[in-house]
Amino acid sequence: MVRIPIDGRFDDNGRAVGNGRGALAATLVTRLQAMQRQINAKSFAVLRVSGGGVVLARKLTCALSNWGASSEVNAHELISVYGEELLQHLDRAPLPVLWDGQGEHQAADASDFAPFTHRLKGRKLSYSGIGFPIRLGARGNGYVVFTGSYIDVSGEQIVDLHGRSAHVMTDMLAADEKQPVKAEALTDREIACLQMASDGHISEEIAEKMGLSVHTVNAYLGAATTKLDSVNRIQAIAKAIRLGYIN
Amino acid sequence: METSQANAAWSFEAAAPRACGSGVSREQLTARLGESAARASLGSGLAALTGYVGASHYLLARHDLSQDSGLDFVICSDWPFDVVRRLSGIVAGLNTKSSELEKCLATLQPCFLPMPHDVDLPRGASRSYCAVTFNVGRRRFLLMLLFPEDVILSREGLRDIAVLAGYLVSLKAEIAGRQERECDLTERELECLLWIAEGKTSEEIAVILGISRNTINNYITSVMRKTGTRTRSEAIAHAVRHNLV
Repeated sequence: MVRIPIDGRFDDNGRAVGNGRGALAATLVTRLQAMQRQINAKSFAVLRVSGGGVVLARKLTCALSNWGASSEVNAHELISVYGEELLQHLDRAPLPVLWDGQGEHQAADASDFAPFTHRLKGRKLSYSGIGFPIRLGARGNGYVVFTGSYIDVSGEQIVDLHGRSAHVMTDMLAADEKQPVKAEALTDREIACLQMASDGHISEEIAEKMGLSVHTVNAYLGAATTKLDSVNRIQAIAKAIRLGYIN
Repeated sequence: METSQANAAWSFEAAAPRACGSGVSREQLTARLGESAARASLGSGLAALTGYVGASHYLLARHDLSQDSGLDFVICSDWPFDVVRRLSGIVAGLNTKSSELEKCLATLQPCFLPMPHDVDLPRGASRSYCAVTFNVGRRRFLLMLLFPEDVILSREGLRDIAVLAGYLVSLKAEIAGRQERECDLTERELECLLWIAEGKTSEEIAVILGISRNTINNYITSVMRKTGTRTRSEAIAHAVRHNLV
C-alpha cells in the first residue's frame, strides 16, 4: 500500500484513482521503487519541507512512501528523531546522510564514498537508511530517503540516485504548480506594478513610468495583495517572488 | 540504470580523442575527487569532473549574486580570460529571464546555450556551452562547461558531475566563508526581515520580539543600507530573491 497524504488519491491496493496527479504519483512510485531495489533497501519515503516559506514554522512532512501500514509510525519516528538535524543539514550541504538502525545488522555504509557523506549519530531508529538532501531553491526542498536493514552503497550508486531523486522532487514541484489556483490569476498590470515595487520604486514613480495616476497604481497593488491572500504590499511582493509571478 | 550507464559509456567514447577524458571510470573519478577534497583543491576536482564528462573547460560561478559588479561571482575557472571577461554579458540573460520557480525546476537539468558570436573561443571548441545549476545549502551555483565541437555530452553524465560538484563545493570551507561575508546581516536583522516578509508591521514585530518599534525600524534601515535597497519592499524582495528568508 502506498500512502499519499497530499490528496490521498490511491485505493487500498496502491492503484492511482482519478486524475493526472494520481497518475503522476504512480509513476513516481515506480521510479522510486526501481531506485530502492538498486541498493537493496526495503522502502522509500519522500520528505518535503513545509511551512509555506515561514522559516520558523519549517518542518519535514512525509509526502510519499511505501511504508504501508506502518507509515505514520515510521515517518513520525524519523522526523522526531532526526528531523531537526536533517533540516539544518539541508541548509548547509547536499551530502547524503546515512544512519544505522538499532538492530545488530542494521547498518548503512558508503565504503569508498564516506568522505562525501554525513552520518547521523546514534542507533535510534528501527531501520537503517540513506537520505538524499534535495534543495531546489525557494521551494521544492526535502529529502528522498531509502530505508532497510543492511544497506551498502557505492559512490557511483549514490551519485546516480541523488540525481534521480532530484528529478523526483522537481516533478513533484511542477505538479504542485499545475494545481488550479484558488485565487484569480494576477493581471499583467498588477504584475508590472508588483515588479516595479519590488525593484524599489515608490507608487509615484510607478505611476509616472506607467502613465497612470498614483491612485490607480495603489489600486492595482491592493488588488494584487488581495489575490495573493496577503495582508500588505510587502507580503504580496514576497509571495509573488516565491510563486514566480515576478523576478 | 542500464541506459544511463550505457549513455555515460558512450559519451565517454566520444570524448576518447581528448587525452584527459580517456579511460576514467566513475570509481576512479570518485577516488580522484576524494584526493582533491582532502587537498582542498576545488580546481583539480572540477577539472576531473570536466574530463570525465568529455568537456574541455570548466567555470563555476555563484548563480544568486548580482552580476553587475565585476567578476566576484566567479569562483573557479579554467576558461580563457577573454571569455571570462565577457561572462557577465553571457550569463546576464540566463539569470534575469527565469523566475525563482523556473530556477527551482531547472536544478540539475543541464541545458545548452549558444555563445554570443563575437566571443573568441579556443580552437575546436563548440560554439555552444553547457550550463547546469545546483544548490549547496541556500546558495545556488552555476557550472558552465566548454566542450569540443565533435563531442556530444550525455545528460546523465552532466547531472552526475553537477551532483558531485555540489559535494565538492560543500566540503570547501572557504567558499562557505565567503558567503557569510556577503550577506553581512545579523541574526536579529534576518529575524525582522522574516516577519516583515510574512506581512507583519513594525508594531507587531515589536510585540513578537519584545523590543521597541524604533529598534525594529533601526534594524530595517540597517538592512537597507547593507543591501543597497531604497525601500522596505525592495529590501524584502532582495531577501526573498537571495533565499535569506
